[in-house]
Amino acid sequence: MTFTKTAITSLAAIAAAAGIAMAQEARTEIGPGEGQVDIVAWPGYIERGETDKNFDWVTGFEKETGCKVNVKTAATSDEMVTLMNQGGFDLVTASGDASLRLVAGRKVQPINIALIKDWDTLDKRLKEAPWHTVDGVHYGVPYQWGPNVLAYNTRVFKDTPKSWSVVFEEQTLPDGKSNKGRVQAFDGPIYVADGALFLMKTRPELGIKNPYELNQAQFDAVIALLKNQRQLVGRYWHDAMVQIDDFKNEGVVASGSWPFQVNLLKADKQPVASTIPEEGATGWADTTMMHANAPHPNCAYMWLNHSLQPKLQGDLAAWFGSVPSVPAACKGNELLTDAGCATNGFENFDKIWFWRTPTAKCGVEGGCVPYSQWDKAFRQVMSQ
Amino acid sequence: MTASPATPVPRGGLSDFFHRNPGLLTLALLLPPLLWIGIVYIGSLLALLLQSFYSLDEFSGTVVHEFTLTTYGHLFTATNLTIILRTAVMAALVTVASALIAFPIAYYAARYARGGWKALFYLAVMMPLWSSYLVKVYAWKLILAKEGIISWVAEKLHLGWVIDGLLSLPVIGGPSLSFSYIGTFIVFVYIWLPYMILPTQAALERVPKDFVEAAADLGASPSQTFRTVILPLSLPGVVAGSIFTFSLTLGDYIIPQIVGNSRPFIGTTVYALQGTAGDIPLAAAFTVVPVVIMGVYLIIARRLGAFDAL
Amino acid sequence: MRSEAGATLPLKAAAIGGLLFLHIPLALIVLYAFTTEEKSFQFPPPGLTLRWFGAAWFDRPDIWGPLWLSLQVALLATLIALVLGTLAAAALWRARFFGKDSLSLLFILPIALPGIITGIALRSAFDIMSVPFSTWTIVLGHATFCIVVVYNNALARFRRLSPGMIEASMDLGASGAQTFRYVILPQIGSALLAGGMLAFALSFDEVIVTTFTAGQQATLPIWMLNELIRPRQRPVTNVVALIVIAVTFLPILAAYYLTREGEHTGGAGK
Repeated sequence: MTFTKTAITSLAAIAAAAGIAMAQEARTEIGPGEGQVDIVAWPGYIERGETDKNFDWVTGFEKETGCKVNVKTAATSDEMVTLMNQGGFDLVTASGDASLRLVAGRKVQPINIALIKDWDTLDKRLKEAPWHTVDGVHYGVPYQWGPNVLAYNTRVFKDTPKSWSVVFEEQTLPDGKSNKGRVQAFDGPIYVADGALFLMKTRPELGIKNPYELNQAQFDAVIALLKNQRQLVGRYWHDAMVQIDDFKNEGVVASGSWPFQVNLLKADKQPVASTIPEEGATGWADTTMMHANAPHPNCAYMWLNHSLQPKLQGDLAAWFGSVPSVPAACKGNELLTDAGCATNGFENFDKIWFWRTPTAKCGVEGGCVPYSQWDKAFRQVMSQ
Repeated sequence: MTASPATPVPRGGLSDFFHRNPGLLTLALLLPPLLWIGIVYIGSLLALLLQSFYSLDEFSGTVVHEFTLTTYGHLFTATNLTIILRTAVMAALVTVASALIAFPIAYYAARYARGGWKALFYLAVMMPLWSSYLVKVYAWKLILAKEGIISWVAEKLHLGWVIDGLLSLPVIGGPSLSFSYIGTFIVFVYIWLPYMILPTQAALERVPKDFVEAAADLGASPSQTFRTVILPLSLPGVVAGSIFTFSLTLGDYIIPQIVGNSRPFIGTTVYALQGTAGDIPLAAAFTVVPVVIMGVYLIIARRLGAFDAL
Repeated sequence: MRSEAGATLPLKAAAIGGLLFLHIPLALIVLYAFTTEEKSFQFPPPGLTLRWFGAAWFDRPDIWGPLWLSLQVALLATLIALVLGTLAAAALWRARFFGKDSLSLLFILPIALPGIITGIALRSAFDIMSVPFSTWTIVLGHATFCIVVVYNNALARFRRLSPGMIEASMDLGASGAQTFRYVILPQIGSALLAGGMLAFALSFDEVIVTTFTAGQQATLPIWMLNELIRPRQRPVTNVVALIVIAVTFLPILAAYYLTREGEHTGGAGK
């Protein structure tokens, strides 16, 4: 029952946060391929050269292993969780706000890292990351990570905007017109964290230490900020392609965004650039995880191995504007160039607040506002 | 079975049986569709309704399978009432606008178009029905965009101020047509319009010519004939069409996501609740709202004879 | 006909204006099947090309699966709807019994209630009964809201049918099956065709209910939804939409002429 499953998932997320171990044996060997592998992925994450023939990390894999790759794209983490709850997929490129929910919901299985031959090449900062490792058990293979950048129109902003305030507070932009109706925000409750991050720096008296751990007073302040922002936002962005259209045809000049959209807009010769403002940024760290009932586990393991190839990691980083999980990919990749990793934020790891699911139990005294409340409050903000 | 003296011609046994027991024939005919709708559809609806009497535990996020009305308590918050009201008003406006646009088309097609023209009208109404809903909605996005076709044309005609004026209106205005209620409204009207034209035209076709002629012979002016004969007789068709336009607007969750200002409608909320929030009880309770609204609507529509005109 | 004057100018203008409103977006869909832009559109298109037609045919094998599935689903749903809708109409046509009105309400319900409700309700039922998603779960949902379309068309025609003809057929010794085959079917055939076509169209383009009942499979509209949120060969969706329009053009026209003729024979019984 999917409905109950979803609910159990949320319950289990809390259980996982409390450190309850989940028992499922990892596989011990990779058998012959089953002929296909079905992956839930962010748009742009798995490319077979159809958008641009230089960016293809699927065709070679298919030829080599005989596993046909089928991709189902999802626009939000919640959508990914829903898809995985439905089942029928082998792998998912889950961000931190989905990964622990999946682990706790027993929707993904432990990965035997002995079967991932390039495991040791992984970035040390990611190997034991808490968004895929629970009680020492690995539930996935790090894929890519990156920041939620501030995308802006270079015709309007001659100088790089320094603060997220251009999307949060009404003001006159350098072109002399108000930002009202010309900025966007991400359409998802997780965006509350972006507001919290902004207040963390601009209103220190609130005492926000972590944008994903907010007590009621801090949360209320963030929601007040977002309600104010609602007056400025013409439309919230939900999927990447629609946002690209909005920058192109709708006069949007600034928005939280992914490097992906910025890269595509730049490739389209649009006057768009991106920055990480002084308040820092939220970000994503994605892990390829395997469904507990993956119908094609052998092909799935083959893909997991393939996903760590420096060539793939580098190409993908160049394509999506993200950072490889394998540092070796940063050198000698034609598409990414040697400066690519630094440009995409390789050194910013510690400045990024990676997406994760807010839970009631947290380090803040009096407990935190859980995700279900984020969801309700965000809907209220949108509806205003 | 032997032939009785009253009906000397022998018949098949089963036919004879049913001929004598028309009630049983009705039952036999009715049973398969009734079972289908009853089990597949009503059964599912009841399963959904049942879920609305469960609740979501705030702390654990699990569905508590105990009878409670707390979910309905959560339904009637200011935010949700705003969403319901917004959707109902939109559905009503879309319905009225569809009726106003559809009527002349249906009227012309039913009463004036002949031969090839009539076929052309029919095709013209059916074609949009057959072309992909999604591609049409995305086409509208391009038409309504700030740098889209309407603005482009308006600029060529030096009419940009009309659009600016429209967009500066409170509530319905916004940064651009596709970022405002106006845009959502236009797309809704466009997408559901054929569902209004078809029953309206069918109802108009059924207005007996004799009535119209009789009215004229008795000295009624054309406008009198229209108001007192044609309009009342075609009303069931319009009401039938309005069932579609109203209900389709009430439950759509794709159009407001693509064109509009991101303010949630019932459809988008239910979709988000079940898909992302995992709050099935509230999603189920939310669906009761359009069911009740449509229930009232259908009862009124039946009074107006719309069911015979569907 | 004698007293009917021609249409007044405002009426003509309103009718033509309405039709333009219906068709300008379609013209745009056609136009952008030829655009040189690949990722997102702007107006006017920077250039025109024919290459998307080739691309759709040669480079995109992923179109055929969803297309085939949509055809299958629409066909199955229409067949089920034809049988059940006709039975319902035949039963309720002349019968008079308590609760008849409520029954007709019941058949109208699946199309009168918003699709998202049908979708969520079916999904929760599938979950409770542990029915795995398949082509049949899609068909189940589609057939449910297609029944009413056939039902309405058939009922309208039944009402014009002269009961005397059936009586006569039976009195002349025809069996029930023979009466259906030789008397009733020719009378209602064209109405069924029209209803079936509409049902097929509804099913073929349905996305709201399908989202909830499809599981992993993609029908054509779901394929389009996925395409439209992905940055690849966007005009190909327009090409597919255009081809669907072109291919359905003749059947719609045929259905129109068939139902016209049907109305004359049907009307004769009056």
